[in-house]
Amino acid sequence: MSQDDTTAAVATAPPPTGAGAPVARVEDLHVTFRRAGADIQAIRGVSLEVGPGEIVGLVGESGSGKSVLGLSLLGLLGGSPRTSGRAVVHGTDMLTAGAAERRDVRRLHLGAVFQDPMTSLNPTMRVGRQIVEAAGSQDEAVRLLTAVGVPDPARRLRAYPHELSGGLRQRVMIAMAVAGTPSLVIADEPTTALDVTVQAQVLGLVKRLRDEIGCAFLLVTHDLGVAAQVVDRVAVMYAGRITEVGPADEVLRHGAHPYGVALMRSRLSLRTDRDTPLLALPGSVPSPARPEPGCAFAPRCTLAGPDCTTTPPAPVEVAPGHLAACVRDLAEIRAFADAVPGEEPPATGRPSAATAPAAATEAGPGAAPDDAPVEEPAAVRVQNAYRTYGVGSGIGRRRPLQALRGVSLTVARGEAVAVVGESGSGKSTLLRLVAGLERADGGTIELGSAAGAQMVFQDSGASLTPWLTIGELVGERLRSAGVPRAERDRRVAEALELVGLPAEVAKARGTQLSGGQRQRVGLARATVVPPEILLCDEPTSALDVSLAASVINLVGRLRRELDMAVLFVTHDLSVARVVADRIAVMYLGRIVEIGTADEITHRPRHPYTQALVAAVPDLGVEPPPPSGEPASPLDPPPGCAFHPRCPRATPSCSDPALDPRLAAQPGERTRLTACINLEVS
Amino acid sequence: MSALTGGVGPAAATAGPAAAAALRRVTGVPLARLLAKRLVAAAVIVVALATSVFVLQRLSPLDPAKAMLGPGASASAVAQQREKLGLDDPFAAQLGRYLVGLPQGDLGMSYRTRRPVMTDLGAFVPATAELAFTAIVLALLLGIFFAVSTSLRWPGASVLRGVLMAGASAPAFLLGIGAILVFYKQLGWLPASGRTGITDVPGGPSGLLVLDGLLAGRFDVVSDALKHLVLPALAISFGPSVAIGRVLRTSLSSEERSDYARTARAKGLTDGAVLRRHVLRNAVGPALSMTGLQVGLMFAGVLVVEQIFAWPGIGQYTAQSIPVADFPAIAGVTLLLGIGYVVINTVVDILQGLADPRITT
Ligand SMILES: Nc1ncnc2c1ncn2[C@@H]1O[C@H](COP(=O)(O)OP(=O)(O)OP(=O)(O)O)[C@@H](O)[C@H]1O
Ligand code: SF4
Ligand code: SF4
Ligand SMILES: [Mg+2]
Repeated sequence: MSQDDTTAAVATAPPPTGAGAPVARVEDLHVTFRRAGADIQAIRGVSLEVGPGEIVGLVGESGSGKSVLGLSLLGLLGGSPRTSGRAVVHGTDMLTAGAAERRDVRRLHLGAVFQDPMTSLNPTMRVGRQIVEAAGSQDEAVRLLTAVGVPDPARRLRAYPHELSGGLRQRVMIAMAVAGTPSLVIADEPTTALDVTVQAQVLGLVKRLRDEIGCAFLLVTHDLGVAAQVVDRVAVMYAGRITEVGPADEVLRHGAHPYGVALMRSRLSLRTDRDTPLLALPGSVPSPARPEPGCAFAPRCTLAGPDCTTTPPAPVEVAPGHLAACVRDLAEIRAFADAVPGEEPPATGRPSAATAPAAATEAGPGAAPDDAPVEEPAAVRVQNAYRTYGVGSGIGRRRPLQALRGVSLTVARGEAVAVVGESGSGKSTLLRLVAGLERADGGTIELGSAAGAQMVFQDSGASLTPWLTIGELVGERLRSAGVPRAERDRRVAEALELVGLPAEVAKARGTQLSGGQRQRVGLARATVVPPEILLCDEPTSALDVSLAASVINLVGRLRRELDMAVLFVTHDLSVARVVADRIAVMYLGRIVEIGTADEITHRPRHPYTQALVAAVPDLGVEPPPPSGEPASPLDPPPGCAFHPRCPRATPSCSDPALDPRLAAQPGERTRLTACINLEVS
Repeated sequence: MSALTGGVGPAAATAGPAAAAALRRVTGVPLARLLAKRLVAAAVIVVALATSVFVLQRLSPLDPAKAMLGPGASASAVAQQREKLGLDDPFAAQLGRYLVGLPQGDLGMSYRTRRPVMTDLGAFVPATAELAFTAIVLALLLGIFFAVSTSLRWPGASVLRGVLMAGASAPAFLLGIGAILVFYKQLGWLPASGRTGITDVPGGPSGLLVLDGLLAGRFDVVSDALKHLVLPALAISFGPSVAIGRVLRTSLSSEERSDYARTARAKGLTDGAVLRRHVLRNAVGPALSMTGLQVGLMFAGVLVVEQIFAWPGIGQYTAQSIPVADFPAIAGVTLLLGIGYVVINTVVDILQGLADPRITT
């Protein structure tokens, strides 16, 4: 580890003045792992302070070292790395102190919340016992659960983690973290595994706890919208260093480092322009095994020059409390930031030619099909589809789970439709039915032509057979169609070129590619024989913002060039908005609203769509936390399934005889909504 | 059924209130369903095993009637004997007669001992049960010991791992012979034949010498019986214990790296507390499954090892029955082992349900 880059390390960002002695101080931290004979420099000189009661956000792409920094402060670094520098919590250096001393600091002064509350809680221990381990007594555990907003806490104490919903589990994690009023809670992606409405609730809880208990939070997140919502200060990490740190509003709105600016720009929001390709950050994160000698961002930076590649740039104070490590002066960076379209006013609707005819064909379950006078050939037509699974295995009872409860949806030729909804809403089931991977229990699914449907999965990496080359994988469908060898090679090369992969990739194997490249291979595989409709199941949710943006651009381009229809499942409304002409919103196995992308994201009408839109975290948006969590598809509430959470619900909404159908409002042609109490606008 | 309650009771008693609550959970509808399923499985297995023994009897060149009467018997005496045993009846009639008798505990008459097979088994089973039970417990204990001692970082760990691998690949009879040569012949530490050297052992009630000795307050019998058990039980359980130990080691080390273990450490718990309170219970599942799988192997081991250690159990009984084509005896032993296998795997399932609350929901 070189000592010459200590200059970069003095970037100690002080907490807001007058805040008192910091609760945690990281000084020139270096962490180097040894893996497969190579040094992995996960952290390369980070300095940061967290003031009492402060919420500090740590943002950056995957592999930038955010989690390693959090684990260093907890004194829980696994894999015996080499470390230098200090990570001081409450006067104890968590890198060098003895095991017992570190344990005491963790017990008394620190709390931790991790990403996935299902795996982070012990599955075989009642949550009560797990909380008592941190809280000391049963009474205190009840008090904590009440404080984090768990209803009926005394009863929940007796539950096992799998008996709670995702949101409740994360509240239990938070209750354990704040037990004994620690001075600092390390929260590593605490909302990433949660549905968007639940995420808004948990973020609200973090803020409230800070106000009530006064504990500081180090909030690790890859989602800049999340950071914008709750944090006081933001530190942006890139390749093991902090590129920029300062007050959240300053850093996120007036970034002073080209990386932060580019990151903000490639981020999707409900205001992203739909008509131009997304501004994807080119290139990818450098390998931590071969760090750049100078500024790590140089290979991807528009402003990079020869002066960037020699020594790591020292942090400079560009505004009070706002430091940025870049050799360019502020004026130059600001000019760069302004040169590109930043936050534009909402893109006005682009009525796609394909949209209008198909829109009127959706109808609720059992609706007469003849209210849809559509002659236009459709890419796929789903009518009144039902799908029920039996759940419960081993020696338990099997219960019916109604994944789809009468879904009708028509996708026109060449049209892109996004299906959004929270987990358990049935969106992936719908996709599997269209793909023909499963059969519907009721209703019909017709594909427009023999070209059929092809599917791209969330993690294409997992679906790439490791012992076949990429070329063989992509060419598989050609081969089974009897296409001769030479022709096959040519078309594989074309397909790879179309998805922007170099031809050499054909000889590589799945394990040698990055996440973004594997996703491209998945797309090449699905389009080598162009299908009538491309089915995408959350293809971007495992990717960083910049990679996600490039995959979304690619889907758009493939759709135009191959003239395919697209059915795109996502939980993220901002993604849905940019990929699709129309958006269908699902709740508990039904479509509750469908309309053009702009109608749904800017003028939502169904109360659930309104809650979803409001919960999307963004700059300068204070979401009203929606109440409740998605009900279980094992027993959907009677009447309108949304009524327990609906702010506009009336007694008739819970009437078991009620069956809200998708219906158009007078004067509207493209939007259908299933609600009996629509606000007249 | 009594074996089942016996298996669950002590586990619940030692594992405290959490396990007691879990037991209440498994003793509801799911447990009844599990037992019902296993009863059906046992019935199917019994019919299948009985049928295959009968088929073997048909294919076998040995004539039980001739074997009973001795080599000098006249042809007419043999024919008469065959008639008496019903051996000339149609195959289906013989099998049907046998199956109908089963529910009443009628396993037929042994050709060799000329007593009901049930009575013979009653005499031989306690010795085998004591040995098999000891071997299973020993396999578990040794498995835990091997898991821990090979995962700790100490100089001998890799040597020990090598020795264990070599040992596990040797068949049980070889280990038995080796153990006799070393611990009996050379060192003289342990006895090498029979169940006990004491003649006036208590005659009941269980037939298990260690248990009966304890009940009767005869601690000399207890210690002598235990000494006799050590070598044969070791020979049977060594291979299975290495298999169990490897599975347990793998699951321990992956559970130690799990997210919930990290959460527990973040609370400030000591490594020991993390292991005891959190990791262990999650890691036993795979080891229990492996134990269930190994039981079949161990039964085979018991039969062979009994020969080597002159253990008066069903291994001996079987060995004497096979050469004289005593098919009723062979069938009885086969059915007994089949049922034992189902029972032990049912116990394993129940223990897994106790360890993991997710299994029954
Ligand atoms: N125990 C370990 N052994 C070896 N390498 C590790 C270990 N932990 C982390 N690393 C490496 O350190 C680097 C930083 O990882 P880290 O988990 O901190 O990234 P991150 O910013 O949290 O990313 P993500 O957003 O994906 O969670 C990565 O290259 C990672 O592979
Ligand atoms: S130092 Fe150079 S390469 Fe690094 S961000 Fe600034 S301009 Fe870009
Ligand atoms: S039907 Fe009633 S409960 Fe359902 S969304 Fe409309 S107002 Fe809410
Ligand atoms: Mg991380």
